[in-house]
Amino acid sequence: MTFALNRRNLLTHTGAAALAATTPWALAQTPAWADIEKKARGQTVVFNAWGGSEQINAYLAWAAAEMATQFGIKLEHVKVTDTADVVKRVRNEKTAGRATDGSVDMVWINGENFLAMKKEGLLFGPFAESLPAFKFVDTEGKPTTRIDFAEPVAGMEAPWGMAQLTFFADRAKVPNAPRSTAALLAFARANPGRVAYPKPPNFHGTTFLKQTLLDVTADKDALYKAYDAAAFAKVTAPLWAHLDALHPHLWRAGKQFAANSAAVRQMMADGELLLALTFNPNEAANEIAASRLPKSVYSYQFDTGTVGNTHFLAIPFNTKSKEASQVAANFLMSPIAQARKADIAVWGDPTVLAPGKMPALDAARFTSAAVPGQVDRTAPVLPEPHGSWVDPIEKEWLRRYGA
Amino acid sequence: MAAGSTRLRKSGCAATEPKLNPWQRRTPAAHAARRVGHVAWAALVLAPLTGVLWAAVASAWDAQAWAELSSSPLLWPAWRMTLWTGLASTLLAYGLCAWLLSRTFALPLWARLVRALGPMLAVPHAAFAVGLVFLIAPSGWLLRAVSPWLTGLTQPPAWLSSQDPWGLGMVAVLVFKELPFLLWGIASQLQRDDVGLRLARELRAAQTMGYARHTAFWHVVWPQLVPRMRWPLMAVLAYGLTVVDVAQIAGPSNPATLSVLAWQWLQDASPVTNAQGAQAGWLLAGTVATAALLWASSATLTRRRSHMLRGLRGADAAKPLANAGTAAIALLLGVYGAVVLTLLLSSVAGVWPFPQLLPQAWTWQGWRSVGGSLGTISVTLILAMASTALALLWAITWLEWAPSAWDKAMRWPLALPLLLPSVLWVVGLHQVALRTGITASWGALVLAHTLAVLPYVVIALSPAYLGFDAHCAHISASLGRSHWAFLTRVKWPMLRAAIASAAAVGVAVSVAQYLPTLYVGEGRFSTVTTEAVTLASGGQRSLVAAYAFLQWLLPVLGFALATWLGKPRRFATSI
Repeated sequence: MTFALNRRNLLTHTGAAALAATTPWALAQTPAWADIEKKARGQTVVFNAWGGSEQINAYLAWAAAEMATQFGIKLEHVKVTDTADVVKRVRNEKTAGRATDGSVDMVWINGENFLAMKKEGLLFGPFAESLPAFKFVDTEGKPTTRIDFAEPVAGMEAPWGMAQLTFFADRAKVPNAPRSTAALLAFARANPGRVAYPKPPNFHGTTFLKQTLLDVTADKDALYKAYDAAAFAKVTAPLWAHLDALHPHLWRAGKQFAANSAAVRQMMADGELLLALTFNPNEAANEIAASRLPKSVYSYQFDTGTVGNTHFLAIPFNTKSKEASQVAANFLMSPIAQARKADIAVWGDPTVLAPGKMPALDAARFTSAAVPGQVDRTAPVLPEPHGSWVDPIEKEWLRRYGA
Repeated sequence: MAAGSTRLRKSGCAATEPKLNPWQRRTPAAHAARRVGHVAWAALVLAPLTGVLWAAVASAWDAQAWAELSSSPLLWPAWRMTLWTGLASTLLAYGLCAWLLSRTFALPLWARLVRALGPMLAVPHAAFAVGLVFLIAPSGWLLRAVSPWLTGLTQPPAWLSSQDPWGLGMVAVLVFKELPFLLWGIASQLQRDDVGLRLARELRAAQTMGYARHTAFWHVVWPQLVPRMRWPLMAVLAYGLTVVDVAQIAGPSNPATLSVLAWQWLQDASPVTNAQGAQAGWLLAGTVATAALLWASSATLTRRRSHMLRGLRGADAAKPLANAGTAAIALLLGVYGAVVLTLLLSSVAGVWPFPQLLPQAWTWQGWRSVGGSLGTISVTLILAMASTALALLWAITWLEWAPSAWDKAMRWPLALPLLLPSVLWVVGLHQVALRTGITASWGALVLAHTLAVLPYVVIALSPAYLGFDAHCAHISASLGRSHWAFLTRVKWPMLRAAIASAAAVGVAVSVAQYLPTLYVGEGRFSTVTTEAVTLASGGQRSLVAAYAFLQWLLPVLGFALATWLGKPRRFATSI
């Protein structure tokens, strides 16, 4: 851990030095943007972001220091446990008629929380695609940067990082990980009680259902269109048949489920389970760096691909710092900030940018040495099914297995 | 014995007889002025309470969502699980508390037990749950201690000892956490001389009449304590039925308790699901209220059925029973000790696979993070001290001047923050803060904390305060001292143990506030608890454990300070 810390400090210094030297991507600034940066000086950005990870909190502390020195902006990280809380707070403010001077200036968000805020007019924008750093975003290679859970983003949130369903296991116990949904079933049969997934509607539990559904259903296309009640039974029947076969071999015979992915990870670390799952492809590497998992742990994805998405930065409609929030979003999307975020020693959150789109100097920041625990070979990203399917699938799961 | 019990009842009533205040002026004008004062003082608390309740009803009551809720297949299994875990833990804690008291009452052992309560009360519920689960889980410490040399296990067995489907682990956590609270409730009753000393005298009197010690306890002492235990018991019952974090850590997931379900629904981004969660919250509130009323009426019933008149003396088996009391206290302390030790070890544990007894790798990351959060201690302390001071000021003024009928009537509204599920309470609180435009201000936060602290302070303070010997007032008045001089020179100094203990509980309650701090403070105010809960959402055991110590530290210092302040004065005896 001391090693990682030293390395982190080292990076801060080199990063700052590089920044002071030149920021090539910012050279092509429009006058309008220069104006926004000028107005932003002196403003405070209250950034509501999940605070359950020390690495992330440390990264945001670094970003705050950079924002202060480079732009004269105070970035204040409000650590939240659940983004839905923030959605509710902004909604309450709208109900109470607080149209300016809101309590949130920027929020880390995606999926149904974004959908709710967008639908209810709780967001400022569109702004994302006019940010200077947006031109480096890998919109072709990573289409989820413009489509959030099948909902068009339309510039109402700025892409910040990538997520993909990833499993991890200890090579000492699991030399050959099950790399498909069918192989996972066989693995569970061979290791009864040693596999678990979180109980839906937990985010990771639901993602596991989506992954399984995409792998077993014959009618994938229907899932990328809006929910169709008539087709539901036919589309999801293979999922329930698969789960009926899987559950008897799960932890607690599929009668109890883990509360969340952290509980699964803890049980895997304790030896009760053999596999764990995450949405951050670098989580296992992080845990190894923090010496909470042995170095023999490795990450993997299903060969035919796993469900993936993008997480974003959005600005509520009643922010008191429109300009500074955009400057902050732009900075967090910039090559320097993205490269640092992608470094496993710092956070390990995959970038939304395409290094090929940026000047060589910036692109070079994205090369980092392999570390233990990393995903061994990256699999294709399967886009999330249309958001409207989530609720019926969760309801049906709960009806069948949830009580 | 009939004559004896009449005498007992009479002396039991002495404390509730109206006490004449020798300084009180009895002119109509003075009477009217006093009334205005009482109304104003009650309104200080009633106004925000009514506002919060009204806002909670207005924004969280949705008749349409009821239909959706009642048709959910999850509802009734969850509700049954809630009833079972809440009632079983309350009854068990209550029974154990009574039994433990019967073994220690009026013995030196009781005083020793009371001294140990503070540190136990200060352990946060969620941290205790984490520690206990890690003790008893299939990969837990107990099994590691005997593996593989005794059990032959090299992998955790498929036992159901964590998050068992029957909720037994959750009941155990609640019983262990609530037992010290109930004992503390009794201790605050026994602090008043007209209860503690009198009951001890009556126990001795009954023993001289040939009653065995434990027979005398159950016939004479306990029936007089039952009605006094009402409010601490309500707090325990409401907590057991509505708790979310303990249920998530130690409770079953399938079915989860109704509180967990309500919490999940309220966390959802969709307003429709939120509404359903709020209705589940109201169902919980109704359950708590019904259980509380049933309890209150059944307690009255059992009090009427007097078995004191049969004259059966019982066999004296005091010696082995006292030993059982010692053993039980040792067990209680042992469990707490083991949990705290487990947490301490977990806080520095890195890689730690089964069946190793000690971690393979150590990490200071949890403690480094705690070190980085020390800045939150000042915010926590300011909020705790300000809210406790305000609550004490209100409570002492109210108990000193309000007529006893008014005081009785105030008890239900005062208990509202205890009885209303926290998810509903916080919705109302946030709406009130928003509509008055005071969110994210120190004033609003202190107010929110004060409302939460107040019921506990009143529960802690009123037994000793109301039981204060009225003779002292008359003696002071007859010596020509003013009312104020009597309060500052005689009454309050004599009550300082009770006041200090109430303050310590107030501090502990304020430190533990999570949702109100988050909502009213809009996340801009970080306390040790908001910090601990946020980091705990990452689920890293070393962090959770290290933060539990930070959360434990402040209340435990509070309790230690209270014990020190409450020490009886020693007078020089050299003359």
